[in-house]
Amino acid sequence: MPFTNDQLQRYSRHIILQEVGAKGQRKLCEAKVLIIGAGGLGAPAALYLAAAGIGTIGIADADEVDLSNLQRQVIHTTPDVGKAKVLSAQETMNRINPEVTVKTYRTFVMADNIMELIADYDFILDGTDNFPAKFLINDACVLAGKPFSHAGIIRFKGQLMTYVPGQGPCYRCVFREPPPPDAVPTCKQAGVIGAMGGVIGSLQAMEAIKYILGKGDLLTGYLLTYDALKMDFRKIRLPRRDTCAVCGKSPTILAPFDYAQAVCELG
Amino acid sequence: MATQPLTDILPDAAVDITDVVCPVTFVKAKVALEELDEGQILSVRMNDGEPVQNVPRSIKEEGHQVLKLIDNGDGTYQLLVRKMGE
Amino acid sequence: MTITVAGNKKEYPDGLTVAALLAAENVETPEYVTVSLNDDFVPGDSFDQTVLGDGDEVEFMYFMGGGR
Repeated sequence: MPFTNDQLQRYSRHIILQEVGAKGQRKLCEAKVLIIGAGGLGAPAALYLAAAGIGTIGIADADEVDLSNLQRQVIHTTPDVGKAKVLSAQETMNRINPEVTVKTYRTFVMADNIMELIADYDFILDGTDNFPAKFLINDACVLAGKPFSHAGIIRFKGQLMTYVPGQGPCYRCVFREPPPPDAVPTCKQAGVIGAMGGVIGSLQAMEAIKYILGKGDLLTGYLLTYDALKMDFRKIRLPRRDTCAVCGKSPTILAPFDYAQAVCELG
Repeated sequence: MATQPLTDILPDAAVDITDVVCPVTFVKAKVALEELDEGQILSVRMNDGEPVQNVPRSIKEEGHQVLKLIDNGDGTYQLLVRKMGE
Repeated sequence: MTITVAGNKKEYPDGLTVAALLAAENVETPEYVTVSLNDDFVPGDSFDQTVLGDGDEVEFMYFMGGGR
């Protein structure tokens, strides 16, 4: 179907770009992206992906909006406190762009539902806040052959990497196993500058958009780290681990599984 | 009729951008060009003023060949463009 | 010897191990840091035995669990 004048106007700044054009915008409008976690990272990513006209955006989160979320989770507003995060996110996204379909999954993402959840999507964004979830998303995406963007933020620091099947290392190549519960501080205990979610979540959205367009170089084989206090961005080259338990030569992880959650992250 | 082509060049497709304003004028022409094959010719009907000044230049910058700009005499122009390779 | 640590050139005495470098660089929770040496991972159980040499490039990768 040809673009309407309204669509041409809405997406004009995209279509004007040589790397996008009508063909690229059509790809965006037909793409399906899943965001796991409607929080510090997921909020800005969801806003930009909706604005970009990504045809179907899935958003998975079991929580309700809490007052302490609003310092960084810019998709939710004060009147949304107490509302399911996925519904609050859906409302904001559809106010920005009524053309996109927002599918909500009000659930914890676990080993027994993740494969079904990601099956329909072209690209997955990890916006979760704990290691068991980050390893689960990595394993499921590697097993299902799905590209995804991993990210983490804490205090004044953030990092991200992109996994594309058959290219470069996966998250488990780098970090192998989650640290023991409570061994490494999380945002709840250590704090995070709200704008960090904006910086890193927006970069995740950018990776998804580049992947869909098929343009430019993705952050595969690199970990991008951002230290806001030193105002330092670094691209660290990542080796591939032939012995990786999920993407290596003789994988031992053949199905997704759940790690125990740190006590403070429960409930 | 004013819409009758005043040229012997036969366009393969036509687009009317008189119903939109900048930057959608160029965007609409660009989208129409994307749907053509290399070497095919697009006729673009546009208003006098800003579109006539900017649209042909932007199309040239994209690497396409501007063949002719015809004054329709009714405040609109007809631009003939040959699509070049991507 | 001169080694490159996280992109910065630094002077260290010869014979320095990865474990000693982690201590000298004040790396938090070094047991949970991934280390690469000249684009290869250093196995976590060999930080003590891995001796660095002039011109080596070392990177540290940290767990970052936050996001919501």
